[in-house]
Amino acid sequence: MDVIVVENLVKKYKDVLAVNGVSFTVRKGEIFALLGPNGAGKTTTIHIIATLLKPTSGRVIVEGYDAVKEPGKVRRLIGIVFQEPSLDQQLTAYDNMYIHGRLYGYSGNELRKRILELLEFVDLKEYAFKQVKHFSGGMKRRLEIARGLLTNPDILILDEPTIGLDPQSRARVWEYVRKLKNDLGMTILMTTHYLDEADELADRIAIMDHGRIIAMGTSLELKNMLGSDVIYLKLSKQAPESLCREFNGVKDCRLLEDGLIELVVENANKVLPEVMKLVMEKGYEIREVSYRKPSLNEVFLHLTGRELRDSLEASSPPRGRWHR
Amino acid sequence: MRRVNLSPLIAMVYRQVKRWFSARSRLVSTVLNPLVWIIFLGLGWGSVFSASGFKGALPGIPTPPGLSISDLVQKYFNTIFGGVDYLTFMVSGMASMTVFLASFIGGISVIWDKQFGYLKETLVAPASRKLVIAGRILGDAIVTTVQGLIVILLGFIIASGLRIAGVGIALIYLFLLAITFSSLGVVIALKLSSVEGFQMIVNLLTMPLMFMSGVFYPFTTMPSWMQVIALYNPLSYAVHAVRYWLTGADVGLSPMTPLNDLLVLAAGATILLLTAGFAFEKTSIEE
Repeated sequence: MDVIVVENLVKKYKDVLAVNGVSFTVRKGEIFALLGPNGAGKTTTIHIIATLLKPTSGRVIVEGYDAVKEPGKVRRLIGIVFQEPSLDQQLTAYDNMYIHGRLYGYSGNELRKRILELLEFVDLKEYAFKQVKHFSGGMKRRLEIARGLLTNPDILILDEPTIGLDPQSRARVWEYVRKLKNDLGMTILMTTHYLDEADELADRIAIMDHGRIIAMGTSLELKNMLGSDVIYLKLSKQAPESLCREFNGVKDCRLLEDGLIELVVENANKVLPEVMKLVMEKGYEIREVSYRKPSLNEVFLHLTGRELRDSLEASSPPRGRWHR
Repeated sequence: MRRVNLSPLIAMVYRQVKRWFSARSRLVSTVLNPLVWIIFLGLGWGSVFSASGFKGALPGIPTPPGLSISDLVQKYFNTIFGGVDYLTFMVSGMASMTVFLASFIGGISVIWDKQFGYLKETLVAPASRKLVIAGRILGDAIVTTVQGLIVILLGFIIASGLRIAGVGIALIYLFLLAITFSSLGVVIALKLSSVEGFQMIVNLLTMPLMFMSGVFYPFTTMPSWMQVIALYNPLSYAVHAVRYWLTGADVGLSPMTPLNDLLVLAAGATILLLTAGFAFEKTSIEE
């Protein structure tokens, strides 16, 4: 079932097209990631879904409700963690949660109980009555995640959930996100510019650039778009050139030193058993097998002509590997 | 969990009150600022507007029979200040001024919320926007009225002519005044994005409004153009009424009576509160 349907979304600021005809759907219980560099239109897209911005054209339907026509209904269904902190720093963690619950119409003992439960879930229970201004970046982010979950939303929206966090805090946030999906079956829509994050967490990824979605699919599907996995076989002895001609469905074959053979193939998963069988039939002993799938970075590079890492540095002009 | 209708309003009242308590420095400045005015202006001018220390005769002016000059001068001052001494006159206006300044500048927290991202948190909630902003204004009004009360209590220590019986009624006027200027502050803050811009506008408005409100000198001796402006200044009505209930001094322009003051402040509070509600409903995160 599709819980979020985005159709031909366009958002224009004066003469800048921040979002330019974006369409995608998010299925129930999946983690869907919008991956792309800063300024790709990810946050704008998410703000429109969360009813904070009105689209110039196009529609967003959340569980059957139009985000423009019935924003109140949509707001009830979603919890959101913004990219920049949106906590009241002067108040305690508990009070931030309490006010949030109150804003959504909850009160009483059950609200109190749920706040403490969620603070425990994000390992902040002992800091419940400390002012947020003393919290570290990771603690603030965890508190915001707990707050986003307070009203039991069907859909959790995370905008760059680990931006600016140290590796430990990052790993922790990832752990919570996985738990939410696996234990509670929550639908999660997230944005990120970290390739590893999208790769690790997302069931499906939409790559965004310049306000458009340029590719969409599972991490594996995206990588397979490039269609060139690289297989390395290390044989017991140096093979002759003629061995290369024996393989079927191999794009490229090279003999390297020390009995190493490099094979560029469409799909290593499918070709590998056959390749190994053939080599063994020819009387070679296989010492080592490895293969490398192209990473999302290579996918991004392939689609845009530049690396995602490079486009993060806004000050330097995008440099493609091609020009180096 | 139970659904409560007024819950968003309570949420925001809770927030504003909690924030006030968490910022102890603000508590101190609340008391300190009016205290400076009272001590230096009140005590300073207080002895100028007092003839009690005056014993001798004025050169070239014959003393009227049966009256001392000091009695005469004192009578004149008492008439001007509505039958009370200057210190009492000024202290009774100081509560209104404190509430006015604190509630007006309170709108700045809306801009902080924009900058610290908290505004988004309130905008994305499925609560009625009008209730959310009303809660915020109500919370600020409660806090600033308490500040006004603190100044009144300080006044009892410093000035002699205050009546304890009038305090309760005076607080009603102060509360309406607080709603009026909190709302105005919020309306201005919603339109702006920088703290500096807000402070500039508020500073530009507070000084003239303060001096044309009857806090420091009576309306009756103002130049007529100033009286006209004072008539359109909501603060004037609070100053007049609070002074009336605290000291019995009835020094105002002709339309100012305790009942009219209440009506004017109630109307001002209602209109500006609604304006703030509509302004907040139109607010989005677009610049």
